[in-house]
Amino acid sequence: MLKTLFFGALAVGVVGAAGFGVYAYKPAIDPVTANQRAAFDPEVVEKGRVLAAAGYCATCHTAADGEAYAGNYAMETGFGTLYSTNLTPAMETGIGSYSAEAFRRAMHEGVDREGRHLFPAFPYDHFTKMTDDDVDAIYAYIMTEIAPIETEQKPNELPFPLDQRFLQAGWKLLFADLGRFEPDGEHSDVWNRGAYLAEGLTHCGACHTPRNVLGAEKTSEQYAGADIDKWSAPALTAANASSVPWTAAEFKSYLVNGTTDYHGVAAGPMGPVVHDGVRELPEDDMDALAVYLADKVGATQDDPAQSEVVLASLRKNQPDPQYRRDLGERLYATACASCHYNTAQISQGRPDLGINSATNLETPNNLIHVILDGLNAPEGIAGVVMPAFRGALNDAEITAIAAYLRDDRAGQPAWPNLAETVSDLRVNGPAGH
Amino acid sequence: MIKFEINGRSVSVDADPDTPLLWAIRDEIGLTGTKFGCGIGMCGACTVHVGGRATRSCITALSDVEGTKITTIEGLDDQANHPVQEAWRNLRVPQCGYCQSGQIMQAVALLQDIPAPTDDDIDAVMTGNLCRCMTYPRIRQAVREAATAMTGAQDNG
Amino acid sequence: MGNKLLSRFTNSSSATPNDMTRRGFLVSMTAAGVAFGFPRASSAAMDPAAPNGVPVESVGETFEPTLWYWIDSEGRVNVNIIRAEMGQHVGTAIARILADELEVAWEDVNITHVDSAEKWGTMVTGGSWSVWQSWPIYRQAGAAGRTALIEAAATGWGVDPADCTARDGTVTDGTNSITYAELVSAGLSRSFSEDELKALPLKPHSELRLVGKDVTALDIANKTNGKAIYGLDAKVDGMVYGVPMLPPTRLGSSVTSVDDSAAKDVKGYLQTLTLDDPSGTVPGWVVVLGETLMAAKWASQVIKVEWAAGDTANVTEAEINGLSRALIADTTKGAILATETPDTADAFDKATNVIEAEYTTQTVLHFQLEPVNATVFQNEDGIWEIHTGNQWQSLILPTLSTALGVPADRITMRTYMLGGGFGRRLNGDYTVPAALASKAVGGKPVKLVFFREDDAQFDSPRSPSVQKLRMAFDTDNAVVGMEHHAAAGWPTGVVVPSFMPKGVNGEPYDPFAIDGADHWYSVGAHRVRAISNDLANKTFRPGWLRSVGPGWTNFAVESFMDEAAHQVGADPVEFRLQHLKAEGYNAGSAPNAVGGASRQAAVLRKVAEMSGYGTAELPADTAIGIATTFGQARSMPTWTAGAVQVHIDRETGEIDVQKMWLAFDCGTVVDPDSAHAQCEGAALWGLSMALYEGTTFENGNVVDRNLATYTPLRMIDTPEMDIAFVESTEVPVGLGEPGTTVIAPAIANAIYNAVGARLRSLPIRPDDVLAALNA
Ligand code: FES
Ligand code: FES
Repeated sequence: MLKTLFFGALAVGVVGAAGFGVYAYKPAIDPVTANQRAAFDPEVVEKGRVLAAAGYCATCHTAADGEAYAGNYAMETGFGTLYSTNLTPAMETGIGSYSAEAFRRAMHEGVDREGRHLFPAFPYDHFTKMTDDDVDAIYAYIMTEIAPIETEQKPNELPFPLDQRFLQAGWKLLFADLGRFEPDGEHSDVWNRGAYLAEGLTHCGACHTPRNVLGAEKTSEQYAGADIDKWSAPALTAANASSVPWTAAEFKSYLVNGTTDYHGVAAGPMGPVVHDGVRELPEDDMDALAVYLADKVGATQDDPAQSEVVLASLRKNQPDPQYRRDLGERLYATACASCHYNTAQISQGRPDLGINSATNLETPNNLIHVILDGLNAPEGIAGVVMPAFRGALNDAEITAIAAYLRDDRAGQPAWPNLAETVSDLRVNGPAGH
Repeated sequence: MIKFEINGRSVSVDADPDTPLLWAIRDEIGLTGTKFGCGIGMCGACTVHVGGRATRSCITALSDVEGTKITTIEGLDDQANHPVQEAWRNLRVPQCGYCQSGQIMQAVALLQDIPAPTDDDIDAVMTGNLCRCMTYPRIRQAVREAATAMTGAQDNG
Repeated sequence: MGNKLLSRFTNSSSATPNDMTRRGFLVSMTAAGVAFGFPRASSAAMDPAAPNGVPVESVGETFEPTLWYWIDSEGRVNVNIIRAEMGQHVGTAIARILADELEVAWEDVNITHVDSAEKWGTMVTGGSWSVWQSWPIYRQAGAAGRTALIEAAATGWGVDPADCTARDGTVTDGTNSITYAELVSAGLSRSFSEDELKALPLKPHSELRLVGKDVTALDIANKTNGKAIYGLDAKVDGMVYGVPMLPPTRLGSSVTSVDDSAAKDVKGYLQTLTLDDPSGTVPGWVVVLGETLMAAKWASQVIKVEWAAGDTANVTEAEINGLSRALIADTTKGAILATETPDTADAFDKATNVIEAEYTTQTVLHFQLEPVNATVFQNEDGIWEIHTGNQWQSLILPTLSTALGVPADRITMRTYMLGGGFGRRLNGDYTVPAALASKAVGGKPVKLVFFREDDAQFDSPRSPSVQKLRMAFDTDNAVVGMEHHAAAGWPTGVVVPSFMPKGVNGEPYDPFAIDGADHWYSVGAHRVRAISNDLANKTFRPGWLRSVGPGWTNFAVESFMDEAAHQVGADPVEFRLQHLKAEGYNAGSAPNAVGGASRQAAVLRKVAEMSGYGTAELPADTAIGIATTFGQARSMPTWTAGAVQVHIDRETGEIDVQKMWLAFDCGTVVDPDSAHAQCEGAALWGLSMALYEGTTFENGNVVDRNLATYTPLRMIDTPEMDIAFVESTEVPVGLGEPGTTVIAPAIANAIYNAVGARLRSLPIRPDDVLAALNA
């Protein structure tokens, strides 16, 4: 998932010294062995599997070619590279020696069994909201179902003093709002269930909430949208740039299928969130997430199919005999329209690019990423791919297509620096998948 | 090893994951009905279905189709009697024939999503498929006839 | 479909272009019982109706009255086709000609596209020429079989063969009947001398049962199910893949260094070959070999080759055209064609009025959809096998012989289905690097694949051209003289100079770079001058491209006829009709041009009527333009007329082609459905080259190499069309190209009629229209 992460090592400079030492100190918790663990209820294990998936633990704890949960997934930061830890129950290098209590403390407080502070690349600031039961279920799952694999933990590549873990405590003190989820009495149970999941387990804010200079989420701007790995995580608030308002049904479709008819597909960092993650949740939970997100974004009840915006966009995508006038339009007609074309209504899997999020966002990044590298089978609609034009079209051609979509189809003001962004993402954008 | 299903058969292909799907299908799996024309996604000769969607295989990496279900012209119908193929034969669409696998695969996908296409719909979707022999008038007509045959068949069913 | 070379070149000693002999076809005509020259077990694709391409095998006894077919003991007929199948369904048309005369049921007929053994004579597929040329030969061959079978039956029954008839593979005398299968099973040998063949009675037109009737071509089914096998599909055990690395110039480059160190990391990379080419076809070419195609391709992207470039490395299209203009201005250059009155000096000297205009056309790519490729290896018998799609086997075999350093009879070419020809594969240059690569690795099979950009870079494009036309009028505004000076690269001049006929001034010329200028209009003195542009000739290999010379000469002739008509205030159609007089030089002659100019006048009238030219009420800025040609060459005229209706957007210059009408008189139509398809395709090629296709030379090479910038016609650009054929019992002539020739001038004339802008350069882009409107 995320290759670029934020963490608050810089917090060191702003925390007062004396009390800090006390705060920072965390005792080790005694190791346990596998035999010391009681057998787990299979139902709990299954629940843990679902939760672990929905929290997409594996995404960050699995290296590119590595075994699941065995860690060493590289995360680029502005300061250096971090490698995720081994989450298998291996005794030496994994978490095999963690008791349930130690695991809970890690999830809730960001402290490992030996008492060391974890970098907030690990989103304990969200997991802290989870109930003990849910955390224990994940523990049960990992201890039961994941094969222990001893690995050699790659050392983080951080300069001194940023590599000093105890300093993370300062960041925590400043920014982390530790403590379980508190339901909001103003809202329904369903909403609260959605909020519990989104703010805790599925940690939506980790990508969709902007961060301050020290890498902490700005709680005052929750879900206001952020850039991540040169992708844009759109706002999940009223500031959402969609030309067609979201509905709860659209959110649900997005989270279940990785796609919606009126907004776009789950791609880039969002791909695994859906496909390796949240869609494992039971239907009720999906509904709850959808209700919660719909509320955050200020969704309507209207049927987008009847929306004049949609109908107007469909009219604009009718073939134009003068398509050769504009390079972008011509390339679109010959390279894109065979899939991205709809007639009276939008069919799933033929996204209408006039109303698509990618063409309506403030930055062209998402669109360009997808043109360059396409979508592989697990992204977007599972089992369907979009080809990659990286090797087929040059920067000027991709720029022309993006400009055509932005100007003619989405009817939005031109993206500044479009051409530069295309060149940059071709060279520096992380490989799409 | 990249595993997927092609024409209902499971295959594992031992090739560089960056290999375009087209060449894996033609040279590794040995199904040569899918053709190479431009290599940049702009002629449609290489069109296959991935997960039921028409896909330009020349610019789709083998690694991207792991776990998918792929159909090529050879797998469209056991007897090559898909209504689109029948329409193609009835109207004697092919000249050199080289583009026609791609045309047919594209047309089948079109009719799945738009069962009763207008001429504009046909133009919009099929314009991505180049036919250098310029069989366009017959392709257009064949798509219309296939649409009639298919919607008729559905009504009767 | 490049040309009609066979008519001229079958017998290279022939005195005039029209003196075609059939000798090439009739070699071994009497050799009965000869099977194919090479094992049938080969995987070569030779029967387009068989799912694996493998031709039908005979069962039991066979009867092979001529080289062109056999009948076996089950009554099945196999017709040998020496033409390449590239979309024209040529095997079906030829087999029907034979089957009709032989009197067999169509269901019993199979076809085999043969290898390149010498016995087949000259093998070339071009010039819209296959049916025309095959017509007399396969009819005679069919008649020979029918005659022999009837004689055998009559002898058996002791009756007079004249009392017997044959139909659907059965002979009867009214009382007895016996099938061909039975006759063949009983053993039959009968052969015919050339004179006997010529004397055989042919069926009258009225009794033709297959010719002219609707049929589904034998190759159609396999072209809808992925089973048709093209050159790119060739498979040979143990083959490796190759991709070319092309030098900076088509000619004259040499390799100075090769560094493949970076390729060593590419998995599957094998080696890099600097080709040593005794034939001089591919100077400075490098071939990269890999276990897979992509291994070779990826390796080629990191291999560093340095070349000493040939001296055309900086040539531009503007320079080529500049030279053309200089050559046209120099009246001593070029060849003067043998028109009726080639000396025009007097007519122009005395003229009251002279008009002249210059027309230019840009470089055009073939862009056949299957990029060129070839698979080559040395088989167990030591024979070099070339598996590929090719249109002119007889041309490239001697070159391959030089390249490989073995006699031509040690080489065989197996011609697969062609993923488009359009003349590109008349030039078999692409087989040479494949052969050299295989030779370099000891005869191991090498499949050489050109990626699209390579195919385009060293295409044999249609040369850019410059033409200057002049017309002289007397005091009554009557036309008294015309001149047509055309300069371009010459395909025949470059590839087979020995095959060029000579003009009246003794200078050789390439008919494929001037045909069309020698039109059937009676214009008084008529000078037609063909000039070779040597800068074009050495910068690239000029190609024969669908409709060849007539594809661009007629743009000039037929635009100019309109200009002339407007000059004298005549209606362009009327003006043409006045000059299509069918007298003297233009009277026409048997067998191919019976009726001469009067038949051209007839198709012109027909297309005017079909389109409503001059009578239809059209909206503003909308008009119909007309043009007429005689197809490809005076020796084989296909009378052709076209009308195009356009609407011009004065704001954007956009040309909306609303409808096209075409009328043809091609003599007997053998396969109506394919004829229609060919005309449709040809007309759309004409449209594509008129408006959408055109590249230019910069830095010694074409700038457009793939579809992002080279933009042929697509479905959305395809207008409605109406195509008609004149009913005729005359000799069937070609249809693959003529439709191309009328479209560009008809469009230019339509634009003029719509908005008064005269466009004299192809392609015509919206900006050109705007510029002309604002001029
Ligand atoms: S070969 Fe794939 S689109 Fe042309
Ligand atoms: S039939 Fe030849 S390219 Fe379409």
